[in-house]
Amino acid sequence: MNRLTCPVAIQGLGCVGGFGCGIDDFCHALVAGSCAPTLSSEQHADGLAYGPAYLAQTDTLTDFVAKRSLRRLDHYARMALLGGCLALEDAGIAGEQREKVGVMVASGYGASTTTFSFLDSVLDDGDHCASPTNFSNSVHNVAAAYLSMQLGMLGPNLTISQFEMSMSSALCNAVCWLQQGRVDTVLVGGVDEHCPVLNYCYQRYFATVDGGQTSAKIEPFVFDRQTAIPGEGAGFLVLSADPDKARYGMIDGVDVGHMRQPTWSADDLLLVGADGHCNCGQWYESIADHHQNHRLASCTPVYGSQPTGQAFDLIAAALMINDQRLYGHTTGHTTMADSDTIDSVTSLKVAADGQYGAVHMVKGI
Amino acid sequence: MPTRVPVTGIGCLCAAGNTLDEAVASMLSGQRHGKPPARFTTTHVDRFPVFCIEDEFEQVSDVEMLRTTQLGLAAAVQAVRQSGWDLDQLRELRVGVCMGTTVGSAMNNERFYSEYRNGHTPDMGPINCFLNSNPAAAISRHFGLNGPCQTIVNACSSGTDAIGLASSWLQAGLCDVVLAGGADELCRTTYNGFASLQISAPVLSRPFDETRCGLNLGEGAAVLVLESQRVQQQRQMRAKGYVIGYVLGYGSGTDGWHLTAPHPDGRGLKQALAEAFTTSGVEKEQLAFINCHGTGTRDNDRVESKVLGEVLAQIPFHSTKGYTGHTLGAAGAIEAAFTLAFLRDGIIPASAGFSQMDPELSVIPVTEPTTIVKEFALSESLAFGGNNAALILARGEAGV
Repeated sequence: MNRLTCPVAIQGLGCVGGFGCGIDDFCHALVAGSCAPTLSSEQHADGLAYGPAYLAQTDTLTDFVAKRSLRRLDHYARMALLGGCLALEDAGIAGEQREKVGVMVASGYGASTTTFSFLDSVLDDGDHCASPTNFSNSVHNVAAAYLSMQLGMLGPNLTISQFEMSMSSALCNAVCWLQQGRVDTVLVGGVDEHCPVLNYCYQRYFATVDGGQTSAKIEPFVFDRQTAIPGEGAGFLVLSADPDKARYGMIDGVDVGHMRQPTWSADDLLLVGADGHCNCGQWYESIADHHQNHRLASCTPVYGSQPTGQAFDLIAAALMINDQRLYGHTTGHTTMADSDTIDSVTSLKVAADGQYGAVHMVKGI
Repeated sequence: MPTRVPVTGIGCLCAAGNTLDEAVASMLSGQRHGKPPARFTTTHVDRFPVFCIEDEFEQVSDVEMLRTTQLGLAAAVQAVRQSGWDLDQLRELRVGVCMGTTVGSAMNNERFYSEYRNGHTPDMGPINCFLNSNPAAAISRHFGLNGPCQTIVNACSSGTDAIGLASSWLQAGLCDVVLAGGADELCRTTYNGFASLQISAPVLSRPFDETRCGLNLGEGAAVLVLESQRVQQQRQMRAKGYVIGYVLGYGSGTDGWHLTAPHPDGRGLKQALAEAFTTSGVEKEQLAFINCHGTGTRDNDRVESKVLGEVLAQIPFHSTKGYTGHTLGAAGAIEAAFTLAFLRDGIIPASAGFSQMDPELSVIPVTEPTTIVKEFALSESLAFGGNNAALILARGEAGV
């Protein structure tokens, strides 16, 4: 594990997803252990049924941004904007303090719905009728751009797209910015959107696994069966170079690599991003086998399977350290007595090809 | 104290040539290869010219992947080959990959989507191909590397940001070597998209010219092998590898203004330049030349000229997009590669397409191949979303 010489402080958290909106909703869902996905009764014209998904609502965005300013923003950008607003509010960073804040956004698939809407405009009416609004809103950095434009954050601004490794990659860069003094504060997070086309692809890839049975819930510690349910949402953290701003603890280690030569470590609680995909099961199963002395937890049944799901794990880890409470699903031997403490949490996400991203979090100084 | 990041290998493919040397020779002789698109069909009345890689380029993998990724991989192979690294030795180090792209991250296959929405059962081949084509992951996988692996999607500044970010990884000690650059292919989606925004030119582009009327799209890739100073010095002591050039500074800035138009005063560009100068320790008077973003759109060239006039007056500048087209996520990397080659050769080509000064612009680009003497140069990129990025590069000790 690359341990940081100067740990970075977690100053604020914000999230929106299938569980609701904000930290309170997220905590309630974590305590419950899961939330119910939205069921679809539709099916594609070829007969393939659309599966359930954890979908996010962004109605409360108008509490932060004037409705008029939102008229061209699609669902993807709105989720990011809402997640960002909530994190900044939680961090206590007002509008006039934002000019030098950096923005780092991770996304697996970008603005999917708008990308397909752009193709609709071409397929419906021809090349010359392509929609300029849909094109400009389909670029991957659109969420980061709206965060900057709407919230006045004019520091460095970067978007990463690395599928399941997107969030740990973004976090690695955000920490780098802080350590090198490029910025004092970074808003870093992940956003991914679910849409009918992705749902269709999901069903094409996975509906035939396990005899076509759709799982009613994600079972993170069942490694040999496909139980994943797709989700969408945005999770953001405000990170600061100032240790006095560690409202939720500190990040003191970030590591990326391949499970062939793992260098990550966990010394207390291990929070895994196992989201019911059996193509990742072998990796998580080996981790569970090799870390039987560690407490093991997963929060994926709360937010669903999505490329940037690790954003929610980082928020959950920060809350566990702050609240000294074990959230999410745990393995059989993982318990928490009244006298136990949570001194550190390692968030670990592994992709099907064995690439991993690990983040180590500790109590504030 | 600024840190110099050695560049020990460069790979580059674009419409001007399938290697860096081919492209430089072509540009210095004034060749422009823009023509109507041939790789895809279009029903536009105006067949906007594009800059396509016509000749077959080196296929280095049998794995099915997007053309964007094939281009990136070909550039990476060229770069690693030139760097002199033995692959087994490279695999023992912590080697990162950082690539910029736009098309390489977009799930926008028209054939698949058309069949999907028409109620057919589409072949999943295009989706499999997309999922297998993340440019950074594909390069890392091809060489069997173990280190940070990221695809930067900051629209048209992605390539510049990727090189800047990779440099910061080395400075932070996150890795020993990084393959950094950008890749993008020509495709119908971007062709239709830029046409819909009415910023595609129906003729060959004319950056900074009074009659400029838009950009031409292009395709290509460039990859730089960047090394930590420690690793490079160890190799140099063993007479393996030499330094082509250095990345001295990187800066980025945000307009926070409009999704597709630059800030009228160049707010974010000025911020990026200020940071690049600070981190490099270079003074503007030390610059030999500037490789501008210079797309040929009314807005871009107006704002970029304004900033050049205010911040970097009297320094020779040019745009190379008249030779390559705008290669989007690859542009910053290709132009960084060109900048290093021009510093090596001591000459820059004319800014293609410029002939008539715009009275609205206070500066004019170089109009003929121009000899340069100084050892530093600047390459800058502007992007949708209000992203701006700049690199300050230095001449190395040996020829490419």
